[in-house]
Amino acid sequence: MLNNQNNHTQNNLVDSVQLAETQLAQNMIALLEERAQHLTLSEVQRLSTARNLAINKMTATQTATIGIHRNGNALQWFGHHRLASATLVIGLVVISLFSVQQLSMTANLEASDAFLLASDLPPEAYADKGFDTWLDSK
Amino acid sequence: MWIDFKLFFKTIVLVIAMLSSVAFADEANLTWAQLTDTQRQVLNPLAAEWDTLRPWQREKMLDIARDYPKMDADKQALVKKRLSNWSRMTPYERENARKKHQQFQALPAEKKSELRQKWQEYQKLPESERARLRAESPDTYTDADLN
Repeated sequence: MLNNQNNHTQNNLVDSVQLAETQLAQNMIALLEERAQHLTLSEVQRLSTARNLAINKMTATQTATIGIHRNGNALQWFGHHRLASATLVIGLVVISLFSVQQLSMTANLEASDAFLLASDLPPEAYADKGFDTWLDSK
Repeated sequence: MWIDFKLFFKTIVLVIAMLSSVAFADEANLTWAQLTDTQRQVLNPLAAEWDTLRPWQREKMLDIARDYPKMDADKQALVKKRLSNWSRMTPYERENARKKHQQFQALPAEKKSELRQKWQEYQKLPESERARLRAESPDTYTDADLN
């Protein structure tokens, strides 16, 4: 019974405080609205400038954050997957070296005079300009 | 971490380039005595003149020695037989022969066969006739034109 009375008193107290806060807020809104109707031109300009500054600052901060996040993704991947990125780079190096070696070997094979010397015709046949002239005259 | 990889890659490329250039310079300057037994065996027809050859000529001859073991016995015999004459050709004749050989390789089989037959016919002409045909050729160069 005593507890019920205490609870009831506490609830009334909370309601009273909330009511007072609401009333205070309404008074503040009323005062601000009333005052806003009578702002001077310089006060309007100062408020507008302050608002623009705040918006610009916020926009710049957001853009910078997004930029870092976007650019950071690729680098972060390599940072977080060091083993994978090391394997990737070493793999690319090995493949490049192998390709260069193969190309070099193929070029040497085609350019080697050994195959000319072992050809169906002797080197003199390729070098003899008289043979060319004779073929042209036939 | 990423910068380290780039540095690593650049270092590998640099080392390979340095090793390649050193290997090329060394090989082109080898004297006859410095050649391996295998190289001397293949290039034997050039033994007397080897040390007078220029570095790029030696390099070409060493390429022949390198590819020689890849060939069958018949082709190896042809290389040995023709090597001596080959080394006596002028640089212009050799370069001309390389170009003509490439053109010959691109020909169809029947055209190759026809040219082989024509070469045999040409060989049967008297030397004076062949000399006249050579003289008729519009552009005749000497070593001096290439050196």
